[in-house]
Amino acid sequence: MNVLYATLGFLGIYAYVSFASLLWGGIDRKLVARMQRRMGPPLFQPFYDFLKLVSKESIIPRDANRFFELAPVLALATSITLLAYTPLGFEPLFGTKGDVILFIYLLTLIGFLRVLGAVSSGSPYAQIGAQREMIILVSREGPMMLALFTILWRLTELGVTKPFSMGTFYEHNVWELGTPLSLIGTLILLFVFMVWLASEIEVGYFDIPEAETELAEGTMAEYSGRHLALFELANAIKAFVSASLVVAIFFPWGISSYLGLSGATAVVVDLLFHTLKVFAVLFVSMSVFRAVTGRLRINQAVSLFWTRMLPAAIVGALLLAIDTLGVMA
Amino acid sequence: MNGRLEYWVKIPIGPIHPALEEPEKFIITLDGERIINVDVKLGYNLRGLEWIAMRRNYIQILYLAERICGICSFSHNHTYSRAVEEMAGIEVPERAEYIRVIVGELERIHSHLLNLGVVGHAIGYDTILHLSWLARERVMDILEAIGGNRVNYSINTIGGVRRDLEEKHVRAILDMIEYYRNEVMPKIEEIFLYDPTVEARLRDAGVIPKRIAIEYSAQGPTARGSGVKKDVRYNEKLSVYPDLGVKPITPKEFTGVVKGDVFDRMVVRVGELWQSMELIERAIDQMPEGKIKAVPKDNALLFQLKKAEGEGIGRYEAPRGELIHYVMAQKGKDVPAKWKMREPTFPNLFAIARALVGEQVADVPVAIASIDPCLSCTDRVAVVDANTGRKKVLTERDLLRLSIEKTRELNPNVRAKPEVVGVGCPRGGVL
Repeated sequence: MNVLYATLGFLGIYAYVSFASLLWGGIDRKLVARMQRRMGPPLFQPFYDFLKLVSKESIIPRDANRFFELAPVLALATSITLLAYTPLGFEPLFGTKGDVILFIYLLTLIGFLRVLGAVSSGSPYAQIGAQREMIILVSREGPMMLALFTILWRLTELGVTKPFSMGTFYEHNVWELGTPLSLIGTLILLFVFMVWLASEIEVGYFDIPEAETELAEGTMAEYSGRHLALFELANAIKAFVSASLVVAIFFPWGISSYLGLSGATAVVVDLLFHTLKVFAVLFVSMSVFRAVTGRLRINQAVSLFWTRMLPAAIVGALLLAIDTLGVMA
Repeated sequence: MNGRLEYWVKIPIGPIHPALEEPEKFIITLDGERIINVDVKLGYNLRGLEWIAMRRNYIQILYLAERICGICSFSHNHTYSRAVEEMAGIEVPERAEYIRVIVGELERIHSHLLNLGVVGHAIGYDTILHLSWLARERVMDILEAIGGNRVNYSINTIGGVRRDLEEKHVRAILDMIEYYRNEVMPKIEEIFLYDPTVEARLRDAGVIPKRIAIEYSAQGPTARGSGVKKDVRYNEKLSVYPDLGVKPITPKEFTGVVKGDVFDRMVVRVGELWQSMELIERAIDQMPEGKIKAVPKDNALLFQLKKAEGEGIGRYEAPRGELIHYVMAQKGKDVPAKWKMREPTFPNLFAIARALVGEQVADVPVAIASIDPCLSCTDRVAVVDANTGRKKVLTERDLLRLSIEKTRELNPNVRAKPEVVGVGCPRGGVL
C-alpha cells in the first residue's frame, strides 16, 4: 500500500511539475515580450511547441553515435528522479539524510548529459557549446555548494532530525538565526544563489553554451523532433527544480498552517503556494535578468564566478560561521 | 605540420546561420575559443543586376538601383543619379539638393538605428533590438509620408527629386526630431556609452587599428571608428553639405579614446544620429524655394541622355560608407554601355576578417554586425565541388551556358540560337 501511494504521488508530482514548468515558459515569454514592448506568443506556446516537436521526426546526424539518442532520454529520466528529492512545499517524497548531495549530483548530471549528447552529435557548433557548458558547469557549482553546505551546517547546529537533507529546510529556516551577522551573511548567500540560478537555466549573462547568434543553439544544435522535445521538457523541469531549491532555502514558509488546513487540502494549497514562490524567484532571476542583460563572453563569465561569486560565498559563509561564536550576538 | 593541428576546429558561420541573415560564409578556424584564421567566401546570391541594367534605359535603372539593397535604397539611387548627372552635365536645382540631403539623412537615422539593434541582438541583448527598432518605426513613417513607401521611396530622379517637401512634411520631420532628441537618444546613449554589459562585450572586440583601416581602405563608420577622418560628404564637398557644416565623427569627441573596436564604431553611429538630426534641421532652415527637377519631362530627359557621351562617377556617403557608381554612356542609345558600383561592405568585410584573427569566437557575430554588412550588394558567385573541394569561379560565359543548358533541359522545343557572348557583364573574372 505504501509503495503504491508513493508511486502514485510521484507520478502526480511529475505530471504537475511538467505542466507548471511548461506554463512558466509561456508566462516568461509573455512577460519578457511585454518588457520589450512586444505582444509575445500565447501563454500555452511551450505546450504547442512540445506537442509539435513530439509529433515530428527526429533527424540523426550521420556521424552521431549511440549516446546522441540516449542522452535526452537519460536527461529526462534524471530530471524525473530529481523530483523525488525536490521540496515542493512539503517534505520531499523520498527524503532521507544527506540527500542534498544526491540532489546536486543529479542537477549536475542533466548538464553533463547535455554535454554528452552534444559531443556525440559530431557537430562543431555543438562541440564548442559542450566545451563552454563544461567550463561554466565547473565554475558555477563551487560557490553554490559552499553556500548550500554552510547553510545546512548552520541549521544542523539548531538540531534537526535528518541532517543535510532537503527536509531540514522545513524544520528550521536560515532567517530564524536572527542575529545581524547572520542576516547579512544570508543576504549575500541569497545573491550568490540567484546568480547561480540564472546560470543554471542559462539566461542573460549565462546564455553562453546555447548562444543562438554565435553557435546556432550550441549544445542543442543537432537535436530535432522527439529528442529535442525530451531535452526541452528536461530543461523546463530543471529550471523549476533549481528555483525550488532557492525557495526551500530562503522562502520556506507555507500558508496551510495559517489557514488551518490539514491533510490532502493542505498539501495541495502548499504546492500551489510553492509554485507561486517559484514563479516569483524565476521572474527575478530569469525574466528580468533576460530582459536587462546581454550575453557575456565565456572568459568573462568564468571570471565572474571565480573572482566575484566565490569570494562572496566565502564572505557569506564566514559571516555565518563567525556568528556561531556569538561575538556580536 | 605540428601536433596541435588536431585540436583545430573549423566552423562555418553562414550561409545559413542565425547570426548572419544574409548568404555569406565565414570559415573560422579555431584553437579552443581563439580564432586563428578567417576565410571569407562570397557568392551565394548573384542577381546579375549589372547585366539586367544593360537592357534598361537610364530612368528604369533608377528603380533597379534602388532595389540593390533595401536599407540604403536612397543612397544607391542618389549615387547613380549623380553619376548620370556628371556624365550628361545636368545641373541639379538647389532645392532638390536640399531635399536629397534631408531624405538621405533620414535614411541614415533609420539605417543606424537598425544597426544598433542588430548589434544588440548579436550580443544576446534582445531588448536593445526591440526598443531601437520600435524607435525606428517613427522615421520609417516619415519616409513613407514623403516618398510613399517605407523602404523603396524612390524620391530621386536624374536631375532632381520627384516629390516636393510640403509644409506638413516639414512639421512632421521637426516633430520627429524632437521626439528622438528627448525620448530616444538619451536611452540610446545610456545603453551604448554607459551600460556595463554592452561595454564588456563591445570593448576590445573586433579591433581594426588605424593602420589596417587605411591599408584595407575601410569605409564609413568602420573607418571613422578607427580614427580615420574619412567622409565623402566632407572630403569631397558634396552637393550642399559644406553649407550645412558636416564633419567626420570620430569616437574621440565622445569618449576621448580611439581603439577601433566595435564599441567605437557604435559610438560613431550614435554621434552620427545626433549629426544627422542637426543637418536635417539646418537643411530645413536654409532650403530655398524653386523648382525640384532640372528636366521636368522624362521623355525630354531621355532624349538629352541619348545624346550624352563619356562617363560619370557618382560618390556618396551611404550610412555604411563610401558608395561609388560608375556609368559609361553609349552615344545614340538610351541604355548605358556600362554601369558599375562599389559597395562599402566589400572593403570593410576583409578589414573585419583580418581584425577577427586572434579574438574569440564569441566576438564573430558582433564584429560582423558592427560593420553593418550589406551582403546582397557585394555578392559574387563561385562553385565548389562538394566531393573534391575544388573551386571554380563562374564567368558570364559559364552562367549563360548553364542557363541555356537548363532551358533546353526544361523545354526541348526552344530552338533559338543562343548568343554565347552576352552583353554587359564584366568579362573574365569575378570583379
